[in-house]
Amino acid sequence: MTGAPGRQLVEDYLAEVAARLPGPARERASILAELRGGLLDTVDAYRDAGVSAADTADTAHAAAAAAAAAAIEEFGDPGLIAAAFGPGLALGQARRVALTLLVTGPLVGLLWATAATASHIGSRHAPPWQWVGALPGSLMVFPLAAAIAIAVWTALFTIAATGRATRWLPDRPRLAPGTAAVAGFGAAGADVALFVLLASQLTVAPGALAAAPTAAAAVASATRLFLAGRAACRCLTTRAALAGH
Amino acid sequence: MRPEALKGHLDGMLLAVLEPGPRHGYAIMEALRAGSDGQFDLPTGTIYPALRRLERAGLVAGTWSEAGGRRRRVYELTPAGRHTLDAERGSWRQFSAAVTAMLEPVPRPVTS
Repeated sequence: MTGAPGRQLVEDYLAEVAARLPGPARERASILAELRGGLLDTVDAYRDAGVSAADTADTAHAAAAAAAAAAIEEFGDPGLIAAAFGPGLALGQARRVALTLLVTGPLVGLLWATAATASHIGSRHAPPWQWVGALPGSLMVFPLAAAIAIAVWTALFTIAATGRATRWLPDRPRLAPGTAAVAGFGAAGADVALFVLLASQLTVAPGALAAAPTAAAAVASATRLFLAGRAACRCLTTRAALAGH
Repeated sequence: MRPEALKGHLDGMLLAVLEPGPRHGYAIMEALRAGSDGQFDLPTGTIYPALRRLERAGLVAGTWSEAGGRRRRVYELTPAGRHTLDAERGSWRQFSAAVTAMLEPVPRPVTS
């Protein structure tokens, strides 16, 4: 066993690593669990090599602390260890953001399509950018289409660049968090464009909209706007933390 | 041997250490030390990010195991990892043969 003093030194060391690790909490917890196991194995090896018997409780405590200190020194500087994990964490975070955007995007789109179909504005199946009374279609369809295209293509690129292909690609860990952030902002931009259209329609002819489907689509878009924006900002923060790579 | 001397070779050595069978991080480090007769004395913490990178690339597969209340991540080679290890071995043999040929002293012709 490592003993309380040694265990405390190990936990202090892991806390120093944790403070410097970027990325999602779940991934960081997995890394810290692995480091803890390896570090405690190293402490045990030092203890077994250096202390065969302890005569008093004080001696045992001192030996445990000395073994932990030696193991920590062997493990290396917490900043260096955290920095070495940084690129991998950034890739994982970027991949998750991109996958989430690609899965949720069609769902949000489906809700808006349902709202458009259920509403009776001009022609029966008019998509939001053709709603009567809304801003001229040519004014809003391009930003909406551009935002969707940017989000989809950058998300697809991010997924391609963060999978098994990493073994053949140049080592550029700041790229994927950057493209994932662009995908997130693209999705948020699409939601903003849809809200502009909705606000325009509500101003001109609110009665023409089917309330329940439109409300559902608006709630979905608002949720995604918040989450996609937050994820994009976090990707940028992670990217900034990789400045030395 | 300085850790920077191993740059570019660590991945291949980790794959080689895993060739006989699955190991966890500490056992991998011990095998590196034993296999190099103590020459490869890296900061132990540096092999964990390298193992995660190899896992992401599909060259090793990691699974959690628990013994005595301690969690360890155990790694084993994948078929892609074995293929990469074979390729690394071939390229290292070529490289080391070329470097040896350049660095070994060449007998100079005797001049009168």
